[in-house]
Amino acid sequence: MTAGPPYTIVLGVIGADCHSVGNKILDAFFTDAGFRVVNLGVMVSRDEFIDAAIESDARAILVSSLYGHGEIDCAGLRERCIERGLDSVLLYAGGNLVVGKRPFAEIEAKFKAMGFDRVFPPSVDLHAAAALLRADIEEAVHART
Amino acid sequence: MSSTPLDWKEMQAEREKVLQEWPTGKDVHLEEAIAYHRGLPAEKSFPLAMRKAQAGKLLLLQPRAGVPLIDEHIKLLKYLETEGGADVLPTTIDAYTRQNRYAEAARGIELSLAERHALLNGFPAVNHGVEGCRKVVESVGRPLQVRHGTPDARLLAEITLAAGFTSFEGGGISYNIPYAKDVPLEKSIRNWQYVDRLVGFYEEQGVAINREPFGPLTGTLVPPCIGNAIGIIEGLLALEQGVKSLTLGYGQGGNLVQDLAAMHALRAQAAEYFHEAGFADFHLTLVFHQWMGGFPEDEAKAFSVIALGAAVAALAKAEKIIVKTPYEAMGIPTKEANAQGLRATRQIVTMLQDQAITTDHEAMRRESGLIRSEVKCLLDAVYRAGEGDWARGVVRAFADGLLDVPFAPSIYNRGKVLPMRDNEGFIRVFRKGALPFSAEIQEYHRARLEERARAERRPVSFQMVTDDIYAISKGRLIGRPR
Repeated sequence: MTAGPPYTIVLGVIGADCHSVGNKILDAFFTDAGFRVVNLGVMVSRDEFIDAAIESDARAILVSSLYGHGEIDCAGLRERCIERGLDSVLLYAGGNLVVGKRPFAEIEAKFKAMGFDRVFPPSVDLHAAAALLRADIEEAVHART
Repeated sequence: MSSTPLDWKEMQAEREKVLQEWPTGKDVHLEEAIAYHRGLPAEKSFPLAMRKAQAGKLLLLQPRAGVPLIDEHIKLLKYLETEGGADVLPTTIDAYTRQNRYAEAARGIELSLAERHALLNGFPAVNHGVEGCRKVVESVGRPLQVRHGTPDARLLAEITLAAGFTSFEGGGISYNIPYAKDVPLEKSIRNWQYVDRLVGFYEEQGVAINREPFGPLTGTLVPPCIGNAIGIIEGLLALEQGVKSLTLGYGQGGNLVQDLAAMHALRAQAAEYFHEAGFADFHLTLVFHQWMGGFPEDEAKAFSVIALGAAVAALAKAEKIIVKTPYEAMGIPTKEANAQGLRATRQIVTMLQDQAITTDHEAMRRESGLIRSEVKCLLDAVYRAGEGDWARGVVRAFADGLLDVPFAPSIYNRGKVLPMRDNEGFIRVFRKGALPFSAEIQEYHRARLEERARAERRPVSFQMVTDDIYAISKGRLIGRPR
């Protein structure tokens, strides 16, 4: 599919959420798209995401949340990353991130204010997301060198 | 852990420990709870509602609903009762409570109060305790069921049953494998034997409580035989502990013939297995779940998915239907959207209630027969693995992949089975993992999938599975290439 270096990404569903179907699809898709995927599966804590990102030297953490508690679960993830020395890791969030039907722009603004680099609705086109991810990682890599 | 009735006296030490897991547990007093149930009006009895539905050939409508605060929850349920016309009511439990994380649920309640909107995805019944739950029971005019996804629901059952709830969803397999990551089946089955024994105790005191294993499992292209086999096993495990009112579930697959055949097979085969195991004193009913997979975002299209499910449930003569909402693609609905789902369902159910279509034609007979043979293959293997003990058999069967639920999060599920639709949209098995199907059954699935591959001019592949998972949300049943 997309050509380029096999950047490492950490994937998981945060909090007490056990929605596993999309997680399995994302794993298969991003692996196919040439990423090295460290998939933590469902019910992943903030620190488990960070541990895995440190251990695997990952460029990005992709956080999924389908069950509505995303707002509580994702708060403080960026601060915790910085606290633990992950200064430049990309944070993506996607899914049904809040309880109820609220305009996506509002949700996106909320999560960006929490330190997420990109925020996606459930209907996101995965090819487009993979292209954005690769571009964001490359930009971050060049910014550092 | 084995398939034997728990001794009520021996269970008391365990009950004491369970009731200490959160401070609200201390308010559970069984004698008082039994007296409270006896004082409840008959129209709040779930088992009675299910009996009346079966006798009167009615299909009961039930939404899903739960919000963190008691007053808001009552408002929501009353709205669904009056504006939605729900026949029986739910209380959907939040995800922290489902994982026994009561401290986090407490924080969710505080934040929801402070921010004036719901930050939990359900009603934290353990935190609200017996008194809080009774406010709900006393405020609504319909029977109430606890709906959740809890591998260890012992404390939740103690509190909600003591509070006057008369139905409890779940089971040791169906509320573990699709709902947890690393809970051993030995543990969840044993903890659900406790729940079933507790229900059995209420039954012994003359208080009827309905139990409902969760049929749809992961809700994603689950072949009917897998859901039906697990439902029958959970039914056997429940009856063993003294459950009398049992509702088995089935999640809509999308192909009309397959859905009708599966419901027909489930009803007949479950009764056969229960009778064969020596149970006679039980009341069996069926619940049909409208499509549990991904929904279209467009509300008009979502209504169509809801309507198709309503039609199938009515034609399948289910006793109850669990209703979705036009907001399904976006997550938790508003009360208005929830009521709309109920009203859309009611229209179709009423139009179809006096109609019947025969299951006695070739395609239906063939599919129903196939599902029953598949279920028999699975159950024979579980029975052998447990040397006659269903509970032990389940643990070994999952370890060996003889039972395997597609797309489930649990590490105790092999996850080697991949389902896929055939050229008419029937859910078939593409990769069977270690499912103990006969050669004939395997060949039938293979041939049906080859037929689709030829029609689509592409090989049978994982891409087709992905396409099928998203097909309904994109407006079709079968994920064909465009």
